[in-house]
Amino acid sequence: MDTLNVPEGRTGRYDVRGLAEPDAEAPKIARVDGESAVFDAAELSPRLINLELRRLIYDEGVAEVTIENPGARHSIAVGILTRCRIRINGSLGYFGCGLADGPEIHITGRVGWSVAENMMAGVVVIDRNAGSLTGAAIRGGDLVVRGHVGARTGIDQKGGTIIVGGNAGSMTGFMMQRGRQIICGDVGGGMGDSMYDGAIYVGGKVTSLGVDCVESEMTPADEELIDRKFRIYGLDRPDSFRKFVCGRKLWNYDNLEPSERKLVL
Amino acid sequence: MPEQFDLADRRLTTRAGIDTEELTGRHFPYQFDRDLVEDVDLVAATPGEDLNWLEDVHLMAEDGVPAVFDRYTNAFLKIYFEIPGGREDEYARKVLIKHLQEGNSYGIWLKHQHAKFSQPELGPWLRDSATVGTAWRPPQLAGWEKPAGH
Repeated sequence: MDTLNVPEGRTGRYDVRGLAEPDAEAPKIARVDGESAVFDAAELSPRLINLELRRLIYDEGVAEVTIENPGARHSIAVGILTRCRIRINGSLGYFGCGLADGPEIHITGRVGWSVAENMMAGVVVIDRNAGSLTGAAIRGGDLVVRGHVGARTGIDQKGGTIIVGGNAGSMTGFMMQRGRQIICGDVGGGMGDSMYDGAIYVGGKVTSLGVDCVESEMTPADEELIDRKFRIYGLDRPDSFRKFVCGRKLWNYDNLEPSERKLVL
Repeated sequence: MPEQFDLADRRLTTRAGIDTEELTGRHFPYQFDRDLVEDVDLVAATPGEDLNWLEDVHLMAEDGVPAVFDRYTNAFLKIYFEIPGGREDEYARKVLIKHLQEGNSYGIWLKHQHAKFSQPELGPWLRDSATVGTAWRPPQLAGWEKPAGH
């Protein structure tokens, strides 16, 4: 580990690449007012931002945290495992808000790839666009992107709801196993390729369907779900949606060992 | 404080089975008595304005018995009380949340020993849960010494 060029005021081991800060401690710079707090991330590394965030939420019992100037840094607000509200005023880089279990996060800017990956529970709302792999492998919760998303949205999705206000790229819902996607705009080629279960609702055009993805009829339960989610998040609802599901030609579910079956629950 | 919160009752197991009853070594009263889960508030127990992650939880079956899947243990929790028709998913979700809120999910028990980072012990479904993982140390193999040069 390169320990040269240690910034002023910082002690201990330091990786000048910013990839590891094994001795880092929370900077304790937030202004705390009751159950809410705000801090400026402009001069902080991703590790210090996350340490400050966790200190506030876990140690100080703060229920609402606002992060100013996130500067499109990567891996911010990862692994938050409690109920709280986080507002990020700006954009994030890749792997933002991953591994979440409980938080309600609002990002006012854009995000890079794999936002909210592996989310277990919670709400992540992004006001602008998101990159590829949005909501990769999420197992629960709501992920709302008001703008457009890149390719492979909800790849390996195992639950939860992904809502996209704009268009989605190619291979949307690739290897999807459970959960729901609601895409208001158009979707690129190979949609739902190798999906095993779940449903994709599309308000615009679909370039092409992937292997074993077929169109299905909308049910009253589908309409109720879409109406409810759009009401909660204040989204404009397209006039109609088409529903796409697994054609079940690739199913070999009964041949799986019981322990394997549980992996997709 | 409910009896289920007694930390002394929590024993990690080396058994091969993965059923909830086998892992925890016990049954739980809310598996048998519907009245014990009637007052569980599902919306209050989940983030957002609706059921959030519980939307994906449904009544299933294990060994021919109605059961709900506990993803935090990777095991089914069987439900033995009679479930009113049309409310199968509701009761499955209530039993699961009761199970989690009372700290009886075996996968959550593992946090005591294995959580590496500061986090709520009982998860986001309960307010003011204790914090675990603040003082994790790598396990040391008895009699093992670090090789020279490392």
